[in-house]
Amino acid sequence: MNRALVTLFALALAGAAQAAGNAEAGKTKAAQVCAACHGPEGNKPTAPENPVLAGQHQDYLAKALKDYKTGKRNNAIMKGFAASLSNQDIADLAAWFTSQKSDLHFQR
Amino acid sequence: MHTLTRTALAAALAALGSAALAQQPAPSPLKNNLSMCAGCHGIPGYKTAYPEVYHVPKLGGQSPTYLVNALKAYRSGERSHPSMRGIAAGLSDKDMEELASYYGGAGK
Repeated sequence: MNRALVTLFALALAGAAQAAGNAEAGKTKAAQVCAACHGPEGNKPTAPENPVLAGQHQDYLAKALKDYKTGKRNNAIMKGFAASLSNQDIADLAAWFTSQKSDLHFQR
Repeated sequence: MHTLTRTALAAALAALGSAALAQQPAPSPLKNNLSMCAGCHGIPGYKTAYPEVYHVPKLGGQSPTYLVNALKAYRSGERSHPSMRGIAAGLSDKDMEELASYYGGAGK
């Protein structure tokens, strides 16, 4: 009984860590999905319309991707990309981009 | 109809028409507009409260074209956000460019 509980607890912890977003997984995903327009670290937009992602707030990044996916934020290009992302992918990408460096900064 | 009357009528209609087309507010000084932005974007760690909680995005160093497009999308309602829509509605295209330049930095 004890062993079962410990196993359950360990699994739950692992699950929680996953939901929080894994930056390494995000790095892989970003290279496949995002790099062409935002740069692999999200700091080299390939067109003036494309935003810098590196260093942006993690929760804001995740929200943006979710909104593109549901259509709450309306953008034909991003909708296509976001459609292929799972919630875990979104969390991973947010974790990756938020930890990258760019000129993006808080400014009054 | 008398030619002079017709001409006057045409001129009046043209003036009305162009006034209707120019649906932007007159530009305001940059400082006034910035004080609107600073209320949320100028407070470190500021978060929205409802319906979702997330950090308001960092603007410093962001692509100016992206910022202008975002403001235009808020103004037209294409991008949905009540506070941002209210703020963007009061901004002319010139205001938006000045703000984007201020935050994005020249030449980015």
